[in-house]
Amino acid sequence: MTTADDLFDQAASNVQRLGLREIPFTESPPDLESDTLQYIFTGRDKELTRVFNLFQSQERRRILVYGRIGIGKSTFLREVLSVLRHKRPQMLTAYLSLPADLDLATTALIAVAREMPDDDWAQQQLYQMGIPTSKPLKQRSSEISAKMVMGAKTGETDLPITKPLSASVSLDTLLERSRQDYPQGVLIAIDDLDKRNPSVVRQMMHDAQDMLKGRAWFMLTGHPMGITGDLLTSERGLFDLQLKLEELDQPTTYKMLINYLNSVRIGEAFTDPADPRSVRPFLPETAAAFCEASRGKPRLFNRLGGILLNTAADMQVDTITPEVLAAGLRAATPALRERAALTLQEERVRAFLKRHGPISDDTITLEELEELGFRSFNELLPLLERLESADLAYQQEDEDGEKVFAPIPLPEPEEPPSPEQP
Amino acid sequence: MAKGFGSTKVPPTRNATKFMRAFAQCLAKAKGDKQKINQFLQKNCHQLNDDLLAALPHLLPKLAVDPMFGDRENVARLLCNLGFHLIEFPLGDRACNLEIAIAALQAANKVLTHKAHPENWATVQLNLGNAYVLRIQGDRAASLEQSIAAYELALQVFTRDAFPENWAKVQLNLGSAYQNRIRGDRASSLEQSIAAYELALQVFTRDAFPEDWAKVQLNLGNAYQNRIRGDRASSLEQSIAAYELALQVFTRDAFPENWATVQLNLGSAYDARIRGDRADNLEKSIAALELALLVRTQEALPEDWARTQNNLGFAYGDRIKGNRADNLEEAISRFEKALDIYTRDAFPEDWARAQQNLGNTYRERLKGNPLENLATALHYYQQAEQVFTQTAFPLPWARNQSEWAAALMKRWGLTGDLQDGETAIRMLRGALTEAVPGSPDFIDAQYRLGNALSRRFEHSQETADLEQALAAYKAALGAINPEHYDRAKIWQALPTTQSILGSRLVRAGEWQEGLEILLNSVRLLREGDDSQAHANALYQTAVAHETLSDWDNARLYYRDALRLYARLEDSVGIAKSRYGLGSALASQGYFKKGMAELSQARDLYIELGKTQAATTVEGLLTTAQRAEQQLQTQMQDVMP
Repeated sequence: MTTADDLFDQAASNVQRLGLREIPFTESPPDLESDTLQYIFTGRDKELTRVFNLFQSQERRRILVYGRIGIGKSTFLREVLSVLRHKRPQMLTAYLSLPADLDLATTALIAVAREMPDDDWAQQQLYQMGIPTSKPLKQRSSEISAKMVMGAKTGETDLPITKPLSASVSLDTLLERSRQDYPQGVLIAIDDLDKRNPSVVRQMMHDAQDMLKGRAWFMLTGHPMGITGDLLTSERGLFDLQLKLEELDQPTTYKMLINYLNSVRIGEAFTDPADPRSVRPFLPETAAAFCEASRGKPRLFNRLGGILLNTAADMQVDTITPEVLAAGLRAATPALRERAALTLQEERVRAFLKRHGPISDDTITLEELEELGFRSFNELLPLLERLESADLAYQQEDEDGEKVFAPIPLPEPEEPPSPEQP
Repeated sequence: MAKGFGSTKVPPTRNATKFMRAFAQCLAKAKGDKQKINQFLQKNCHQLNDDLLAALPHLLPKLAVDPMFGDRENVARLLCNLGFHLIEFPLGDRACNLEIAIAALQAANKVLTHKAHPENWATVQLNLGNAYVLRIQGDRAASLEQSIAAYELALQVFTRDAFPENWAKVQLNLGSAYQNRIRGDRASSLEQSIAAYELALQVFTRDAFPEDWAKVQLNLGNAYQNRIRGDRASSLEQSIAAYELALQVFTRDAFPENWATVQLNLGSAYDARIRGDRADNLEKSIAALELALLVRTQEALPEDWARTQNNLGFAYGDRIKGNRADNLEEAISRFEKALDIYTRDAFPEDWARAQQNLGNTYRERLKGNPLENLATALHYYQQAEQVFTQTAFPLPWARNQSEWAAALMKRWGLTGDLQDGETAIRMLRGALTEAVPGSPDFIDAQYRLGNALSRRFEHSQETADLEQALAAYKAALGAINPEHYDRAKIWQALPTTQSILGSRLVRAGEWQEGLEILLNSVRLLREGDDSQAHANALYQTAVAHETLSDWDNARLYYRDALRLYARLEDSVGIAKSRYGLGSALASQGYFKKGMAELSQARDLYIELGKTQAATTVEGLLTTAQRAEQQLQTQMQDVMP
């Protein structure tokens, strides 16, 4: 055994000492195909009900799920699809994160075609776009030569790669072809609209109006229409349901923690929140404190949880006591900053925010903006949003709809004591 | 000649013969001492006239039979010498002197053939080239072509291997002819000029030929100063560096005139300089020019004195330090001084340039009545155009048109007379047909056209005007050196026009493109220091977002505009931003906050005496109040 092997075993046993097979927290939502989603998805009952109600009708619907960065839009979307896949086997569900440089129609076309591996025409569409298909596609040249008097040769040639001339027409054809196998219709879920430039999204929505009003169901996820305003009112009217995901409340977050821990627990799972064993290696008090620190934001919950369990494993403890929790939270700020790899300017904004406390467009002064090297809030906003996405700041809306940015209240790491003079 | 048709009258040659005899004696005595020959010419100045010119072509056969002169070849050499010394003689009627020189050289050219006397022939070509370069009478463009042709002929004999020194001398002069060339592509002519100078330096090294070396450096400095291709800021640095080299040899004690010439050119290079502090450069320019005047006195070197005064006029016109009004008066006085020498007949080009310079200065003048000053300026441009016609001097014509248009635009601004604007636009478009793309004149004309079109838009409300203004600004910005001090003003005009165009497009329903242009203008203005333009662009962007019912962004940009307007103490800006902000807030249902903004806007409008605007805000305020009451009633109904 090498030293590295020893170290690996040590790391595994450090986590196992906490009573867990592995660390359950992840940065990105679990795969649609995995079982983890069913274990860990918690809450959102009201939102799910509103969505599923729509599915009780034959009428095709368009649903927009929106909310702040890291609020769990993608996970919510996947949960809906996962439920529909076993409850509505006769409905085709297609999911794709919006790729860069593609329009909505082409994205939808790809998503649907990938779910129809047995449909040659669908696979040919993918093949023509240069997307790998499950079966190699060949064009039989005999079909062509049959029309030619001289054509006796039969062979196969690769098809040239071309983009669809009209993605929406191709999509329409594909939806038509899917009707036989999927009489209950097609749901196309397109995720991550907010990862694209708002003005691009705006134009895309504009261009895709006809498609969205077409024969498929659509679920899209995006930013809140707030500050970056991806969608116009006229286009928002396209949606039958605009679902805003808010932060989870404390009991739901607590329940979510139980679910996460149980998904990797060694031995018997305990689901009753009243049972202290349900949150082990946490103590009920440290579990509650952890949930509070994650502010009901699933991604921050995952990030903090990961850092916390890693800290506990490093400390080789079996219980997350208040001291262990404090050490973990202290480690969080530097870890989050390291992960965010802030630019100098972003770092300045972060320091300003920490020093100044909550800021909003309504209250900030020109002098304060100038201190940061700006003359308008619209220049500062992308940096604040960047801090938000790095979980170094969070945003709240006050009663007047003012977006207030505040630093995430995490304890700062302790300064090492300065050496004494001998 | 056929009888009955009369005969061409041979002009009297007696005086001419007498003069030539005297000249021949002087030449023999002087033994190459230029000063003695100049003294002779000065003494006989009155004889250097049209009579001599008319007699010259007929003189050769007469002198050839005079035992004093010897054979035809000797007479030809004497004529060649006369030509050579007249070219260098600075006094008297310069135009006439040069005509005499050309006539003398042409007469010599007939005898000293390429075949029989190749070296002499080449020398005549070289001198002919020099005379044509300096020629005042006749078509200048054609003279310069003749000069280049003569130099090229000289190079057939003066090859680098056989006659390195003469070869280098011709290269130096060829460089100078290309530098002044009017026909052909100006940018390539200047490149050819620089190339010729660089060739000359292969022979004229500092150690072997210090004086010629310095002369080439001086000319190289001039060529770099005028260069169009390449990076303008570095070209000007190269120009200054070349002048500094020239001054190593051309010291005031050893070569006072050349020293003064370098000072003159150094003065204009500092005036044009892009790098370094503009105010300091202009002081350096004035200092160098004043130094030049120490040698270039009106009495000794009237032409040079006039040129220096002219350049001083320029430098004072641009001066940043000191009192601007006084500087401009000083500039006018210097240009007027130059005109003492630059008479229209003797120096038509310089005269025209001085007219134009006076026009520019009167256009900017601060003392006196503005409209009267502009009328004076327009008069001067008209005068300049008498010489600077489009056909004879396309580039100076283009510059004159552009400056003229600037004066018209200024008057348009004062009187609001749209006709001036229309004329200015037409003139600028005309100027741009001739101006060399990328040259300073081209940049100026494009920038002015941008200004004229965006101002015309204020009346016409034609989007096309804005679009064309934008294109003009972009052309100017694309051509101007990134380091140029004028870049900032063009750079700021571009986004300002963009923001107006952007908001127009949004209102016209082309919101996608309009908003993109607006956001782009905001991005550009952020970097600049024109807070007013920045605030306006932010406001326009807010309006565009409001038009698109994007209330959140409308709020964001109204607030950004409001902050800047408050800093600028721009009450109208503050009022309209508060109005927009209040309207956006109310549209989102934040009535209380919205109404607070609206009442502030209303009060401010009242304070400013803008009753109509105040009434409009009041109307919206009432609507918002009603909506809020309705909402409260509904809430009461719902709530138990």
